[in-house]
Amino acid sequence: MADIDAMIEQLDVILKAAVDAFAAAGDREALQQLRVRYLGKKGALTEVLKGVGKLSPEDRPVIGQHVNRTKAALAESLEQREIELAEKAKTARIEAEKADITLPGRKKTGGALHPVQLGLDEITAVFAQMGFVVAEGPEIEDEFHNFDALNIPPEHPARAMHDTFFLKDLQTNDEQPMLLRTHTSPVQIRAMKRFLAEGGEPPLAVVAPGRVYRCDYDVTHSPMFHQVEVFKVDRKVSMAHLKGVLKHFLSTYFEKDVAIRLRPHYFPFTEPSAEVDIGCVFCAGKGCRICKGSGWIEVLGSGMIHPNVLKSVGIDAQEFSGFAFGLGVERLVMLKQGIPDLRLFFENDVRFLRRMGASR
Amino acid sequence: MKIPFSCLKKHVALAETPTEIANHLVRLGHEVEAVELPRAAVKGVRVGLIESKIPHPDADKLSLLTVNIGENEPLAIVCGAMNMGEGDKVPVATIGTSLPNGMKIKKGKIRGEVSCGMCCSEAELGLAEDAAGLLILPADAPVGAEVGEFLELEEAVFDLSITPNRGDCMNVRGLARDLAADAGLALADIDLAEVTVDATLAAPKVTVSAEQDCPLYMARSIAGVTVSDSPAWMQAGLIMAGMRPVNGIVDVLNFIMLDLGQPMHAFDADKLSGDISIRSALGGENFAALDGRELTLNAGDLLVFDDSSVIALAGIMGSQPSGVSDGTINIILESAFFRQARVSETRRIYAMVSEASMRFERGVDPLMVEIAMQRATAMITNLFGGSAGAITVCGEPGNINSGRQVRCSVSHLESRLGIDIPEAMDDVLARMGFGISRKGDDLQIDVPSFRHDVSIPEDISEEYARVIGFDAIPELLPPLATTAPVQKDTAIHDAVTGGFLQVVSYAFISTSEQRLFVAGDGADIELANPISDAMRVMRRSVWPGLLNTAKHNLNRQQAGVALVEQGRVYQKTEAGHEENNVIAWLMTGEAQTDEWFAAVRQADFFDLKGAVEAWLALRGLTGRFIADDAIQGLQAGQSAKILIGRVEAGRIGRVDGDIAAALDMDAPVFVAEIDLDALPEGKKAKFAPLPEFPGVERDLVFLFDKDTSSDAILNAVKSAAGKLLTDARVFDLYAGKGVPEGKISLGIRFTLQDAKRTLTQEDSDTASNAIIGAMEKRFAAGLRG
Ligand SMILES: [Zn+2]
Repeated sequence: MADIDAMIEQLDVILKAAVDAFAAAGDREALQQLRVRYLGKKGALTEVLKGVGKLSPEDRPVIGQHVNRTKAALAESLEQREIELAEKAKTARIEAEKADITLPGRKKTGGALHPVQLGLDEITAVFAQMGFVVAEGPEIEDEFHNFDALNIPPEHPARAMHDTFFLKDLQTNDEQPMLLRTHTSPVQIRAMKRFLAEGGEPPLAVVAPGRVYRCDYDVTHSPMFHQVEVFKVDRKVSMAHLKGVLKHFLSTYFEKDVAIRLRPHYFPFTEPSAEVDIGCVFCAGKGCRICKGSGWIEVLGSGMIHPNVLKSVGIDAQEFSGFAFGLGVERLVMLKQGIPDLRLFFENDVRFLRRMGASR
Repeated sequence: MKIPFSCLKKHVALAETPTEIANHLVRLGHEVEAVELPRAAVKGVRVGLIESKIPHPDADKLSLLTVNIGENEPLAIVCGAMNMGEGDKVPVATIGTSLPNGMKIKKGKIRGEVSCGMCCSEAELGLAEDAAGLLILPADAPVGAEVGEFLELEEAVFDLSITPNRGDCMNVRGLARDLAADAGLALADIDLAEVTVDATLAAPKVTVSAEQDCPLYMARSIAGVTVSDSPAWMQAGLIMAGMRPVNGIVDVLNFIMLDLGQPMHAFDADKLSGDISIRSALGGENFAALDGRELTLNAGDLLVFDDSSVIALAGIMGSQPSGVSDGTINIILESAFFRQARVSETRRIYAMVSEASMRFERGVDPLMVEIAMQRATAMITNLFGGSAGAITVCGEPGNINSGRQVRCSVSHLESRLGIDIPEAMDDVLARMGFGISRKGDDLQIDVPSFRHDVSIPEDISEEYARVIGFDAIPELLPPLATTAPVQKDTAIHDAVTGGFLQVVSYAFISTSEQRLFVAGDGADIELANPISDAMRVMRRSVWPGLLNTAKHNLNRQQAGVALVEQGRVYQKTEAGHEENNVIAWLMTGEAQTDEWFAAVRQADFFDLKGAVEAWLALRGLTGRFIADDAIQGLQAGQSAKILIGRVEAGRIGRVDGDIAAALDMDAPVFVAEIDLDALPEGKKAKFAPLPEFPGVERDLVFLFDKDTSSDAILNAVKSAAGKLLTDARVFDLYAGKGVPEGKISLGIRFTLQDAKRTLTQEDSDTASNAIIGAMEKRFAAGLRG
């Protein structure tokens, strides 16, 4: 008969050796081999079980219990070690994969819209939201649309103030000289004529952005710049509406409640005419270098459309009235963004463009 | 225009400060550029009494003065002037004073004698252009007083920008009228001294044959004047108003013009021959203008003649020989009303602007013509002696610009302004010279002769708005129209998504820049009056502007640039001219900078082609790039035209090496341009079900002849592979070791897919074989072993 005590002792030896072996296993493969060695079909425990048959019937269940207990202990120890090894492997992987996260990210070089474009977009959007329709017109104009139809006859002193670029060897069919438009106001004439020709009847509200040209080139003048012409014709349009639209636009554009001041002025195509000032956006009206201490900054010219202008396109000036104004885009962008020099816009230094343009 | 405050106060008793007056002027529509204190610098100049005068021991032309300036001890002053004597009172600039000419007074020795100050002339005080000696002050000047205060030198000058419609305000009285009406003050009468007419003096004979352009002409003789400088106060006034003193007679006329707005002219009667006539030029007459120019006149110019020559371009400038000089004894004074349009046209033709022409052009007051002449006569005879004859008058002042009436309703004006017009405002307009009668809603308004700018109800509405104040008009939003949303042009917005910076360059370039990319100057549109040669012609391509911008930036340490511009190009056509919208790109230098994750890479053709393709894709368009070696300014072998459908819509390529070299641009430069007006409508995205069955991807690598177009290869692949093909592209391109000379190894990856089933090996073999066959047949290309 086999000695049950010897078998029990053998089991204890196996358990102890296995636990030590598990602890010594450096990776999952080694551990897997140990599992086979101790718990496999031909493993150490199985070997012990082969001797059970030689035990007395009453000893058998005892040794059975011991074997099961040892088996469970082995399995638990193995599992424990597996977890340990998995954690160790993970830690090693994390360490190996550690990155210097202070290195710069891969650049997606962003493009940018020109600040004048952004200004045009913002300005146009405010009016588009108010129901103004966007219109454009030619930059090469004739004297009729640029001057005569706008109530500026040839002998008019205001015509001289426009510093017009004329074009060589270019004439209209009726032999008028052609020129580069000096303002976006001719779009008033063209838009109204087109609208009426298509059978429209006021109300008509238009916003017309575009490039304009003046023969004037120094620190504060560029021979090419951008304007936006805005006008509305309807029954009972009043100067109060002009002020309301200006106030809404300027406050929206400057993203704050700006004070506006209208001063009587003179433009041939409006009557009454007004220069429009805003409360200085730099000093909140207290007076600074930019506003020359006045607290006001001139931003645009405006007025009620002159009846002669309405008549020139065939609108009854008794029944309808309208307001119009034209604003200089560069000037508004300079004021909003604090850009000190007009020339920066046309120099197109990419450092300026990246800084001032909205990245895409 | 500059107006001294004291001059305004002579017409209306203004009690407010210059700043307050400036605010009123602005509110009334007269822009105040600045309120200047031009003579604030004369502080420290005091009235001195010369107590003794002895010659300088070491200098013949210097005197030693002791001057009492009201201190305990008189000052010792060395003086170089000759015109003073003991007992005279003179201005003394004390130690530490800064004079208007910039001189600072210090204690010093002149030829060994101590000098503790300086006696001043009118010029040194900024009161006159030049002066022969010291300014001798009146005997009643209090010794020790500030000369500036005594002479009332320190005053504000308003620098105004008068709008061209307000000719009536190009003078002190017109502005005073507006201010007085606004403040409810009385406008003073014009100071008119009696003129005693010398009946023995013949009135000038004047014939006006151009009555349309010259409806009123007055002339009078003044005989026996002694022309000298005008008095210091007048010179000072003229200088403050920004005009140069000339001689006594001219200064008086200028002074009255500034004050009352009527330009006048004086002829030297002894330089004229025969009678005066005012008529239109026949053309070809010669005219020697006062400013030194010699003109040949055009038919229609309004001229003043004597029997032998043109003595004035009416309302603009007199002739050189007939002008008044220091030696003039007898003069003929002219005061007239010349029609605005005539003066304006002539002034424009000869680019000859004068103070007179500016006023005639904007319209003067016909009723002021005689008043101004009377005032001038009185001043001239008082200051320079002589006697005045009777006035010759051609024309009737009361017939000019008179009897004009505007009728309208108060409610009409109110609806245009958006405010009520209280009846009290009628008084303000009445004080401005309007005759107003209001009956219920009806207004009847008589317009004064000096208001050339008022003729319609809207003009009246502006007058009311001015006097009520634009600030009183409320801010109301009009009813907003609801309109269909407008399709926004996003061309430039789409173009900057790929790392491009939008630039804005001038639409005019130099002729030589134009020739870089566009042959033949026949279609160039040239400016008649360019600012410079660099801005002479309207661009026909955006590329020159982009090249300049790129160069500007490369010169500023930029390693590479990617630029895009949207704008117009302009050219003559058979029908006239056209302006087209284009978008243009430029890339040069580093497309990829040296980074920790990537090596530096120079931009090449395919960077730009990719950008253009991506931009087209955003618009639902696909471009075909057709090699074109004949595009001006681009390098053969790296240039193509871009076709959208059948439309040639653009060009792309590498800028010719010589052009780049001329601009010192070392790296290759790539440009593209697309005509936005030529682009068709793009495809709109359409829904298609996602594939349910997996596709099969296969690679085939062939050896092709070197110049084979990949476009042609892929087209051949697509037509050979059969209906299951969903994609075919080049995934590898190699030439060099292992590839025979003259050949390229090109890898093609194609994808097959069927919506109804999973594909089999057989499917992909069929397609592969078809492709291999096609490559063999079409390009004699075999699989790379
Ligand atoms: Zn400010």
